Amino acid sequence: MAKVQVLNVAVLDNPSPFGNPFQFEITFECMEDLPEDLEWKIIYVGSAESEEYDQVLDSVLVGPVPAGRHMFVFQADAPNTGLIPESDAVGVTVVLITCTYHGQEFIRIGYYVNNEYTGPELRENPPLKPDYSKLQRNILAPNPRVTRFHINWEGVADTMEDSENVDPSPNTRGMLPPPCVPGKMPPLGLLPENSMDCL
Amino acid sequence: RLGKAPDWSTHRKPIFSVDIHPDGTKFATGGQGEDSGKVMIWNMAPVLREEDEKNEDVHKMLCQMDNHLACVNCVRWSNNGLYLASGGDDKLVMVWKRAAFIGPSTVFGSSSKLANVEQWRCVTILRNHTGDVMDVAWSPHDVWLASCSVDNTIVIWNARKFPEMVTCLRGHTGLVKGLTWDPVGKYVASQADDHSLKVWRTVDWQMEANITKPFNECGGTTHVLRLSWSPDGQYLVSAHAMNNSGPTAQIVERDGWKTNMDFVGHRKAVTVVKFNPKIFKKKQKNGSSNKPSCPYCCCAVGSKDRSLSVWLTSLKRPLVVIHDLFDKSIMDISWTLTGLGMLVCSMDGTVAYLDFSLDELGDPLSEEEKNSIHQNIYGKSMAITNTEAQLSTTIIENPEMLKYQQQRQTSTQTNSAPGTVGPESSAPKLNSVMNGESLEDIRKNLLKKQVETRTADGRRRITPLCIAQLDTGDFSPALFNSVPILPSGSSMSNQLTPHLSSDSSPGQPSSLGFRPSHDPMLTSPPANSLKTYLSNSGPGGQIRPFRIEPIKALDSRFTERSKATPGLTSSSTPAQKECKLKEDTSSDSEDKMASINKNLMYSKRKPELMIDGGEVVEKRKKGRPRKEKMTTSMVQSFTQVSMEPSVFLEVENEVTVVAGSKLSQLRCSKDGRDWNTLLPSSVVTAAGSSDLIAVASEDRMLSVFSSCGRRLLPAIQLATPVSALHCTAHFVMVVTAGATLSVWDVQKQKALVRNESLQSILSDTSVSQSLLTQQGVPVVGLSNGKSFCFSSSLETWSLIADKADSLVQCADFRGCLSSHDAPVSSGPLAVMQGRYLNAGRLASRLSSTPHHMQQSMTLAFLENQLASALTLQSGQEYRYWLLIYSRFLVNEGSEHRLRELCKELLGPVHTSATTSWEPTTVGFRKRELLREVLPVIGENLRFQRLFTEYQDQLELLRNK
Repeated sequence: MAKVQVLNVAVLDNPSPFGNPFQFEITFECMEDLPEDLEWKIIYVGSAESEEYDQVLDSVLVGPVPAGRHMFVFQADAPNTGLIPESDAVGVTVVLITCTYHGQEFIRIGYYVNNEYTGPELRENPPLKPDYSKLQRNILAPNPRVTRFHINWEGVADTMEDSENVDPSPNTRGMLPPPCVPGKMPPLGLLPENSMDCL
Repeated sequence: RLGKAPDWSTHRKPIFSVDIHPDGTKFATGGQGEDSGKVMIWNMAPVLREEDEKNEDVHKMLCQMDNHLACVNCVRWSNNGLYLASGGDDKLVMVWKRAAFIGPSTVFGSSSKLANVEQWRCVTILRNHTGDVMDVAWSPHDVWLASCSVDNTIVIWNARKFPEMVTCLRGHTGLVKGLTWDPVGKYVASQADDHSLKVWRTVDWQMEANITKPFNECGGTTHVLRLSWSPDGQYLVSAHAMNNSGPTAQIVERDGWKTNMDFVGHRKAVTVVKFNPKIFKKKQKNGSSNKPSCPYCCCAVGSKDRSLSVWLTSLKRPLVVIHDLFDKSIMDISWTLTGLGMLVCSMDGTVAYLDFSLDELGDPLSEEEKNSIHQNIYGKSMAITNTEAQLSTTIIENPEMLKYQQQRQTSTQTNSAPGTVGPESSAPKLNSVMNGESLEDIRKNLLKKQVETRTADGRRRITPLCIAQLDTGDFSPALFNSVPILPSGSSMSNQLTPHLSSDSSPGQPSSLGFRPSHDPMLTSPPANSLKTYLSNSGPGGQIRPFRIEPIKALDSRFTERSKATPGLTSSSTPAQKECKLKEDTSSDSEDKMASINKNLMYSKRKPELMIDGGEVVEKRKKGRPRKEKMTTSMVQSFTQVSMEPSVFLEVENEVTVVAGSKLSQLRCSKDGRDWNTLLPSSVVTAAGSSDLIAVASEDRMLSVFSSCGRRLLPAIQLATPVSALHCTAHFVMVVTAGATLSVWDVQKQKALVRNESLQSILSDTSVSQSLLTQQGVPVVGLSNGKSFCFSSSLETWSLIADKADSLVQCADFRGCLSSHDAPVSSGPLAVMQGRYLNAGRLASRLSSTPHHMQQSMTLAFLENQLASALTLQSGQEYRYWLLIYSRFLVNEGSEHRLRELCKELLGPVHTSATTSWEPTTVGFRKRELLREVLPVIGENLRFQRLFTEYQDQLELLRNK
């Protein structure tokens, strides 16, 4: 069973102008002290057609996480408009919040996002080139889609039992969204337990 | 007679298991959820009373838990009603406990708007099975929890020390699909697809009987094989058995495990048998003769043929048979503790409630009558005599004892969650840490308030705000034992009533009320809701068709795991590892180099200034003193500082003075008053305490000054260069490069330890740490994790800490920690043992050592701690461990040790010239310590004689 349960995600500052940062207030409960940090990411789906346009808006480490109920606000800048196909600027897309532990994703929370022009004229006759300054972002907060994955909470990724979690082959990496800095994960057992200077 | 299917309590997906809470106020169901297993807890009241069903303010569902990853096959309440165990296809057994904290909540992401009225939290996960868990069963008095699985095994868990495993019963060669405990706790029986029913002894966990004959013809065609033991213990009734190619429920007699009788009549395999928990006797009719009738049992049998039959063992024919109640196979049956109500669940996703009248079943025997039947047949069962239930009837003989018993009771109550009384109060609680601030206030400023830092590699790291802490000491034996064992259900339901009524008080939002038409389990597809959403806000309310496609494409994005994460991380990890390794090896090699040459190793130690408070502040005026110290000719000055009162030491080597002679200057400033002195040779290291300053110089001279700069001793010539120098109070300790250690008491001008060689403890290791306690006891930590102190009275090295000690890893004394005493973290023992103590306690939760082993290990560990604290003359730590030790002895019932301890602390009552007893130890009066220990002893009624004995003697001595 997952050691971390997401209890709630509140979408803050919603609806808001397109350029505003995303703000999610995340509440989660942890069953036991986690030795490692959790890594949270916000991924903006630029286009439904292809993962190519996915943008990792930000990733943060969250820790230390002792057993208990915790909350934090995850704020991330608005997507880089240059990376969004113009045809997909207006309309419905998705923003994803993922959380990984030991590099394994165990929860994925998805929200539909509707980007619309505020004025009726623009809505009727949208400009050919999207005008992001007039777009309003509306996250469909009441309907999150939550997918939970079974991961190995105890050890490192390579000892996992179910094939679902096996890392993708390296050649798929070319299609991936912009890489984000991987989590700081000091391998277990290599931490210096005691140093000369401890007094 | 009345059979109604409470349609609102349907999962709509198959329900595999149902169990009524012992207090009869709620019941649990287990089955398949949307994409996970589902455990739900329901209110019983709407099932029992139609008016409650219609009343919108009465909650129907109390809690749902989606934590199981796959279908839940079995849910069972513990006999005391505090825990719920569930087992599922995800190979896990989860144990749930009511958490009395923050109000109702929904399962995040489920479209159901119904809140969880009660919070049930998974307190432990039992992992051992390698296949689907099919059935779980609590032993009488909740000593053990048994689980069986398609991995052909049965695992017995220690229910008082989860997740400890007692044993794994192997012997079945097929999927094990049912379990039942003998009501007196002597046996556990299992039924499997291997055409056998096996009975196991709980004394040695060996097989008692293997019954195969009635099952030879059976095929493995049922999902479950829930067998049941009669409440009088005389009969065991199997699920699916065959007799003359007809499906039966086989009756197995306890006496010789004979299989002469069976329940016949079902047309398809029997899936579940459940005995009524009550034993009945024939209803005495007015006017009829008082002929004593033989007590009998009542048994319900459910089958794949969708019908249910109820039998009385006194009748040849079934009492009632109900056909067509369900559309699919019956999966589980649960009786109320009163014996008059029954819930039945089915694959078709419904649960039916049946209730019976006394006229139909007879007069139930009281618990006392049932117990006397048990005692007549079996004598006092182990399970009965071992429980605290019996102790509660012990007469309290001493008023003082009574006081401590009452204190203990009130403290357990106050320790538990505030506002609740009774057994519920010992539920794991979330201690609110909000300091009176409301959650809303916190949320408003969370973004501003939360701590955000950057990691070394420049990443954002947020420290989450802890809004509630989980109490992790759930299964400490003390806590578990203090729970009253439920005698009849009535006492508990009384205690529960106030709590329950508060649940349904008008304080709850009325929107939580139940709507019959609303299926809580049904998640409406979000694509639909998106459409509605768009039509509401979109232009003209029209959904443009081309948007449908992307939505479908988008839909898949919700569930597909991002490939980026694992790929990237794994690719980068090795690099990180490598660089980590590099760092490590570099420091390693440094260490190695150091240990090759002892001189080098010792001189590598940086000069330190130890001052009594323990807190050492150091200021380095110029750059990297460590390097400079290697080279003995230091030109630069360096400053070492300490506090309380703030003392600054500054050394300037090779101050050129007249005629080319080079002197070193030692400057000291204390409270703004400065003094300085000159030394003929370069200073290698310096140390100080609030009383004195010690300086070692290159020519192996040690000089000691008072805090005002007065030289206290003539320079001491050392044989080899100094590698570590410590000052504490009026003690000076020197570790030399020749691996010797000396300690002087400057006040008394006396050597405490004279050139003691470290060779005896240094075998292929190096010194990693050294310190001097307030009492002048030298302590040396080695690179292999061992720490020694030199006991000047014993004139020997004593091992005080060993980080590799398995006792430390396995000792478990969490139950003995008192909330009143803050752990001593500053004493020398704590310093040397470091955080390993913590790690040990953590590891103990994972270890699967049997209880008695762990008990002995804990005992050995605690005694080690006591002895070490004594040798270190660390008073506070001695007292701290003494109290833990005595609490442990009290909990585990070691009377001999307790008595010896008390005897030692009390000493001889009549003093004579020949007594060698010391009235004090490490600065404490022993009798004062005894006065602290006695209340601990008073908490356990078993020791009331011991308590009284020493209490009286203490009183006697005081009056003298």
